[in-house]
Parts: sequence; C-alpha cells; structure tokens
Amino acid sequence: MYQIVTGPLLWLTFAVFFGGLAWRIYTYIKGLDWKLDRVAYGTQTAYGIRGAVRSIVAWIVPFGSQGWKVKPIFTILFFTFHIGLVVVPLFLAGHAVVLKMRFGLPWPTIPMVLADVLTVAMICAGVFIIIRRIALPEVRIITSLYDYLLLAITLAPFVTGFMVVHQIGGDYEFWLLAHVIAGEIMLLAVPFTKLFHVVGFFLSRGQLGMDYGIKRGGMKGTNMAW
Amino acid sequence: MPEGKFCNKTPVNTQEALDAVLGDKGGKQYYAEMLELEVDTAKLAASIKNTCKSRTGTWLEMCAHCGLCADSCFLYLCNNRDPKQVPAYKIQSTLGEMVKRNGDVDNAFMRHAMEVAWSQCTCCNRCGQYCPYGIDMGVMFGYLRGLLYSQGFVPWELKIGAGMHRVFKAQMNVTDEDWTETCEWMAEEAQDEWPGLEIPIDKQDADIMYTVNAREPKHYPEDISEAAVLFHVAGENWTVPSSGWEQTSLALFAGDWEACKQQVEHVYAAIDRLNPKRAVGTECGHAHRATVVEGPYWAGRPDGLPPKPFLHYTEWLAEALRLGKIKIDPAKRIKQPVTLQDSCNYIRNYGLKEITREIISYLVEPGYFVEMSPNKEHNYCCGGGGGFNGMGIFRPQRNRALMVKRDQILATGCKLVIAPCHNCWDAIRDLEEEFKIGIKWSFLKPLVISMMIVPEHLKPAEEEE
Repeated sequence: MYQIVTGPLLWLTFAVFFGGLAWRIYTYIKGLDWKLDRVAYGTQTAYGIRGAVRSIVAWIVPFGSQGWKVKPIFTILFFTFHIGLVVVPLFLAGHAVVLKMRFGLPWPTIPMVLADVLTVAMICAGVFIIIRRIALPEVRIITSLYDYLLLAITLAPFVTGFMVVHQIGGDYEFWLLAHVIAGEIMLLAVPFTKLFHVVGFFLSRGQLGMDYGIKRGGMKGTNMAW
Repeated sequence: MPEGKFCNKTPVNTQEALDAVLGDKGGKQYYAEMLELEVDTAKLAASIKNTCKSRTGTWLEMCAHCGLCADSCFLYLCNNRDPKQVPAYKIQSTLGEMVKRNGDVDNAFMRHAMEVAWSQCTCCNRCGQYCPYGIDMGVMFGYLRGLLYSQGFVPWELKIGAGMHRVFKAQMNVTDEDWTETCEWMAEEAQDEWPGLEIPIDKQDADIMYTVNAREPKHYPEDISEAAVLFHVAGENWTVPSSGWEQTSLALFAGDWEACKQQVEHVYAAIDRLNPKRAVGTECGHAHRATVVEGPYWAGRPDGLPPKPFLHYTEWLAEALRLGKIKIDPAKRIKQPVTLQDSCNYIRNYGLKEITREIISYLVEPGYFVEMSPNKEHNYCCGGGGGFNGMGIFRPQRNRALMVKRDQILATGCKLVIAPCHNCWDAIRDLEEEFKIGIKWSFLKPLVISMMIVPEHLKPAEEEE
C-alpha cells in the first residue's frame, strides 16, 4: 500500500497538480479580453508588466501593502500559515528521502527543528483563522462549509505529518499512510478548488496591477501606493 | 409578457419616449411596472456566457471569503458595520448568484440586485485595493449594472439619463444650440471685465479643445466663463466644439454600454473634426473616466488612449501654474486651514494625486493645507459617486453615505474644502445641507481667479481719463 501511494499514485497526483495548474494559467490568460476588461494588455504590455510586478510584490511581502498594514494580526496569521504551508513540505528531510528514493532527485532540506516550529505555527495560525471565521461577523457572513472543508483539506497533511514525525497516536503505519493520502488529496484539490490561488493569486494580482499600470495612472507615471 | 410602458428592456432612443418617461413624475408608474417586469433568462444567460470571462469568473470563484474588504468599504463603515455591506457579500449574493444560476433568476432577485448595485456600491474601486487577490468589486458592480440595465432593472433617473445621451448626446436635455448660445452669452457678459475675451467655437487646429459637463450650460454657466477667463489669462489658443462638447456619461452610471460608446465617439468625432493639439476637460471626475479612462475602450481603440492627449482640468491648471502662464498673487494665497477632496475617478483610477497637490502648493500658504485621512488613492468616496447623488429612491441611503466624508472633513478641522469634481462638489454641498457643519466648498477655477495676478494688458481700460 505504502509503495503504491508513494509510487504510482504520487506520480499521478503530481501530474494532475501540475497539469491542472498549467491548464488554469492557460485558460485564465486566454480568457483575458482587452475590450471587456478595458485594459490594453496587448499594446501597452511594458506598462502592464511593470504594474503587475509592483502589485504582486506589494502583496507577497509581509506588510508590503496598505491592506496588510491595517490588519497586522491577520497579516501575521496569513504569512505564518502560508510560509509553513509552502516551506515545510518542500524542504522536509523526510520528503527529500522519498524524492531521492523514488525519483532519484537530490533535494535541499531544512533542519528538523525549523520544520517543527513552522508546522506548529502553521497549524496554530490555521486554528486562529478558523476562530476568526466564526468570531467576526463580517467574515462569518461570507463563510460557507466549503471554506471549512478547504481548511480541513489543507491542515490534514500537516497534523498527520506532525503525528508521524513525532510518533504520536500509536499506530505509526496508519498515520504515515493517512499523511501521504491527505497530502495527495490536498495536491489533487488544488487545481479543482479555489486552492488554485497557488497560481491564481499571481494571475489575479498581476491583472489588477496591469489595469493600474496601464489605464489607471501607470501611463501617467504614477505608482499606485498599494 | 409583462413589459411596462416605461419600465422595459428597451432603451430610451427618441425624444417622445424621453418625454413620456420624464412625465412619470418620480418614476411612480415606472417602479410599479418594475414589480411585474419579466426577466429574459435566456438572454441573461447568453450575456453572461459572452461577457463573463476569465477575469470576472476568477474573481467570483477565487474569493477566499477572508473579509479584508469589509473595512475598505465606506458604506460598510457608515452602516454600523452591517455584514450585509461587506463588499464580498454584496457581489457574491448578486452577481455571484446570478452567474452560478446561469441567469435563471426571478423578478425579486433582479430588484434586489438593482438595489445593491446602485445603493450599496458607488463603484469607487477602493475594495480592490484592499483585497489580497486584487478582486475589484467596483468593476464587477459596473458589470452587474450593465446586465441589470439590459433587462430593464435600472433606477428611473438613470434610464432617463442614459436616454438623454442617446437622444441629445448630453445629459439634462441640453442641445447643441443651448450650448453655443450659452457660450456666446457668457463671452459677451465677461467682455466688460475682460476685454478681448472670447469663447471660440469650432476653431480648427487650436492648441486646446475644451469639453464640459452639461450641467454647466444648464445650471452653472459661470463655470464656462471662468474656464474662458483662465484660458484667456493664460494666453491659450483654445476652442470649444459646437457638437461633442459634453464629456459626462450618465450612461456609465446606468450600465448602458451602447450609449457610453455613442457618447464618447461623439466627443472623439469633435476632436477628429477640429484637430486640436490636445483636449482638456472640466473639473469633473466621471466625465474624465468616461472620456479618457474607459472611453477609448468603448470606442474600440486598441491602444487604450483617446485620439489626442486628453487632460483633466487639474493637469492643465498645474501646467499653467508651473509654466507661469497663470501667476498667483502671494498676498492672496489661502491663509486658512483648507483640505482637498481626492476624486476616485481621476485620483485612484487615473493617478493624478500629485498633480492636485502641486496646484495646492501654488494656491495655499505653506502650513495651511491639511490632508484628509485617508487620502490620495486611499481616500473614501465623497458619498455621492456612481450616480448615487441623482437617484430619488435611494436618497436616504445616499444621505447616510455622506457621513464618512463629513467625519473626514470634521477631523481636518478645515472650513474650506477644495473639490475639483462636480460629483464630489455636489455631495459636499449636500452634506453641508444635511448636517450643517459650517463648511464652504469650491472648485479650483473660482479660487484661482480670485487670487491670480492679472497682467496689465488684459485689464479693462480705466473709465476716467
């Protein structure tokens, strides 16, 4: 079983994950319409790219935008959650071993302590994000079960992974299997749910950046103070 | 089936139709008919299929429901932080639902969507600045307005307003004759004080073609003579077109994209006909948005630019002050605390934040200018944007919306507000009327005229020898 989920099923997961995201990028860009969107993407491209880069950078850097600055607590939760989410699975020593074994790829790793800290912080941030969804009326009104499902899908690999590494919960074999499957479910969910913001963030932020970079002041030499 | 006499899916295209719907005072019958108006769900589904492409689709699908947009919305803030005023909720429960159901919605849904689209959003686009994904709900509400308009669900005044543009190529039924007569009258009146002043109509190859907001010839003709005085003093070679002079677009507020296109093409035709080096528009926000920012796209111009450089009034004025074409008398500079209203349409959405502040630096004695908080592209809507000033049924909501601007102005401690935008100017006038906070408000033109140095050769000859 372990052989299958870390072998062919993993291959399949990666194929769907990368293929699905590539499809998302392709359809998004193909669906941009300069007349409907009222942004001259094709003729003022240099201004557009400049605007897109500024827009993405302002929001990918903690406290880089006004929006982050006015919500410091959420900003910390947000970045803690996302940094853990991206860094730990990519550079965990245990994952590097699998990559080496299955695909023969050499892979950089982070120290185990750092991985633990990031994982616990990420899970805590996730819990606070759930509490925030329930506690704040302006968030509660737009929250649906789907949002909780996505949080569960995202948190599951980290909770199970932490249990495996620290051998919590007794049945090591079971939790290892649960962890691998949870991780695969998450990766499979990305292209098909709004978790596709893995690429969608860059596309959407880039698009609005192009809008500002071209039409809404960029060509006047004005830098939008994101 | 139920298409009303006034409330229906057909735009107002003739003078007769316009007179008829205008005759329905306050839209009484119009709104009664709207209760019965049928939704053409097949047409709505087709519109969505043809126009809801990847940008809008992604915005609707990807919204993380994080609620960061809530505090960005001045209507959320002034309505006791009612969760139903959270931008994401407003757009998801209207456009989002409509797209999800592929247009299969009923009359009650459409009427509710109309209320949200025109009384809970002024399309100020501030939320787009505060969304991590850059989801611009103002843009989406503009899109929703278009869908609603095409189905006949539009506030009475805006159906009329869009019709005015279709029939007269101007709002407020101002005809080209009214316009040229007003120009002649204003020039004549001003000549006593300003010998040699002209308002040249249809002059070919001028340096500047000037365009206005139709309410100037209709209600504020002095605005036209003030513009003439300033061009005169600056020594500009300028003209106004006899047709194509109206720069505004109530069609933009209504979501009548066809009328938007007709209107802006009419202005561009004047540019083509008169071949000026540049065009300059009056102190109006949405007029600039309609003619310079969005207009090129409605007219199908791939470069996204008007046919000639088209300046907002503040750009021309800043240039004239910078180059010394107009000089300010230092003794007459403003020496009382004064604040500035940043118009969404040309500050947030066109980047002129430093231009208006450059003008302030010439007009206001150092130390007397007080910024609103927030300001520049982060400023709040005046409270009357996007058509909000002009819709009778949403007047109570509009008046409530003015509270944010009122509090921003009160916090500056200023008694004078410079508002270089017709729409903001109106909203600030109305907020003074509504809340009596003891402020004055002004366009730039009268302020500059009151404090500029008039060159000797432009002064009237002394009466006594």
